[in-house]
Amino acid sequence: MGEPGREEYRIQSFDAETQQLLKTALKDPGAVDLEKVANVIVDHSLQDRVFSKEAGRMCYAVIQAESKQAGQSVFRRGLLNRLQQEYQAREQLRARSPRGWVCYVTFICNIFDYLRVNNMPMMALVNPVYDCLFRLAQPDSLSEEEEVDCLVLQLHRVGEQLEKMNRQRMDELFVLIRDGFLLLTDLSSLAQLLLLEIIEFRAAGWKMTPAAHKYYYSEVSD
Amino acid sequence: MACSPRTPPSYRSRGDRDASPPPPARWSLGRKRRADGRQRAEDAEGPAKPADCRRPDSFTTPEAPKPRPRCADWASAVEEDEMRTRMNKEIARYKRKLLVNDCGRERKSLLGSCGSKAPCAAPADLETDESVLMRRQKQINYGKNTMAYDRYIREVPRHLRQPGIHPKTPNKFKKYSRRSWDQQIKLWKVALHFWDPPTEEGCDVQEIHPVDLGEMETESAESSSESQASSQDHSFDMYEGTPTKVRHLDCHVEDEFDLEACLTEPLKDFAAMS
Repeated sequence: MGEPGREEYRIQSFDAETQQLLKTALKDPGAVDLEKVANVIVDHSLQDRVFSKEAGRMCYAVIQAESKQAGQSVFRRGLLNRLQQEYQAREQLRARSPRGWVCYVTFICNIFDYLRVNNMPMMALVNPVYDCLFRLAQPDSLSEEEEVDCLVLQLHRVGEQLEKMNRQRMDELFVLIRDGFLLLTDLSSLAQLLLLEIIEFRAAGWKMTPAAHKYYYSEVSD
Repeated sequence: MACSPRTPPSYRSRGDRDASPPPPARWSLGRKRRADGRQRAEDAEGPAKPADCRRPDSFTTPEAPKPRPRCADWASAVEEDEMRTRMNKEIARYKRKLLVNDCGRERKSLLGSCGSKAPCAAPADLETDESVLMRRQKQINYGKNTMAYDRYIREVPRHLRQPGIHPKTPNKFKKYSRRSWDQQIKLWKVALHFWDPPTEEGCDVQEIHPVDLGEMETESAESSSESQASSQDHSFDMYEGTPTKVRHLDCHVEDEFDLEACLTEPLKDFAAMS
């Protein structure tokens, strides 16, 4: 693999100075303050929805680079500490900035998806991710299209993995989703569609059946 | 027929006790809600408890032999998991190595050579206690995380090592008493100091000679030769001055007082421990 381009990690949205910092972190981790890099990445993920979807890949690359160069995990530690702090204050984040909250959930799920430890997902993140998804499945969140969209998107991406790690919590989550779908009167029709789709998706073993694809997505390709 | 509907025995008995409700799968016959959406009477099925209060404070997972405390700190939990999976791989590799060696030795004796080597520990004699292995691994990491070790392995490739002269990392998989192990570690680290990089000020840290490594595998701490006693005194000073690479910090409180950790770790990290 050659030198990672800007496009690969979507760092165009950072200012020039920060881009340079990140590039150096990837090439020569020992030369930068890795805890600062972790904070920069988390801060940006909470602002930029596009970045929060793909930041996991960049974080993984930095972790590998640091491990290879120095056998340390300063960056990973900083990243997880920050992630944990934001998690503990997530209710306030949601109140203060619904967009930031959605970005946070996207980010933590992305991290869970990409950052593996000896080919195993990070056990420590399983319950926190579930907690976030449970929050998104509460009635007040289901009334917000952005949050419903976030919920179903994350379930598409990491649902199957999460279920493997803890089946019971997934069952409970889907109880909430079904309840929301059936009982909430103020759901937008888009929200209803999204929830129904994810219910079917899971029922089909986290796969898209041709019939479901035709029903839900045929309009997209038209 | 005027008899009450049959219920599975487990459900009947549970009704007598104040236990948590069985998972929904068993109630496929019963419905949680009426047609109008309202929940049925609480005593029949009971509401689903919020996930939070069902979560135990500690839990046993298939990989762990005993309950593991819920780690409050994600970063430390991940580091522990990483060590654990790495440890399991090492144990498997070591067991395989033992089997391969045993096969080799059997072949030799069949050919009639009187191998004078002591038989290798059978897999049954291995140290498998996870907490012991983790602690030992941490102690080994402290020693390997030094400039001295770096220079040593670069200077002396493994196949050129001579037993008794070149230090060898203590084998964490063998059964040793705590004292014996700690002593081996201490001697090993002292021996490694021979490869310390030259400091700018000439101090008598540089005057040390390689420790007689014949002491390494012995059990007792009382066997103190002259060199051992003097190098022990030196070692106390040297731990403070030992040039190290970026230190691998671990936040876990040891079950026994770890003097070396106290001497080598900056105080602020203790404050950070929850």
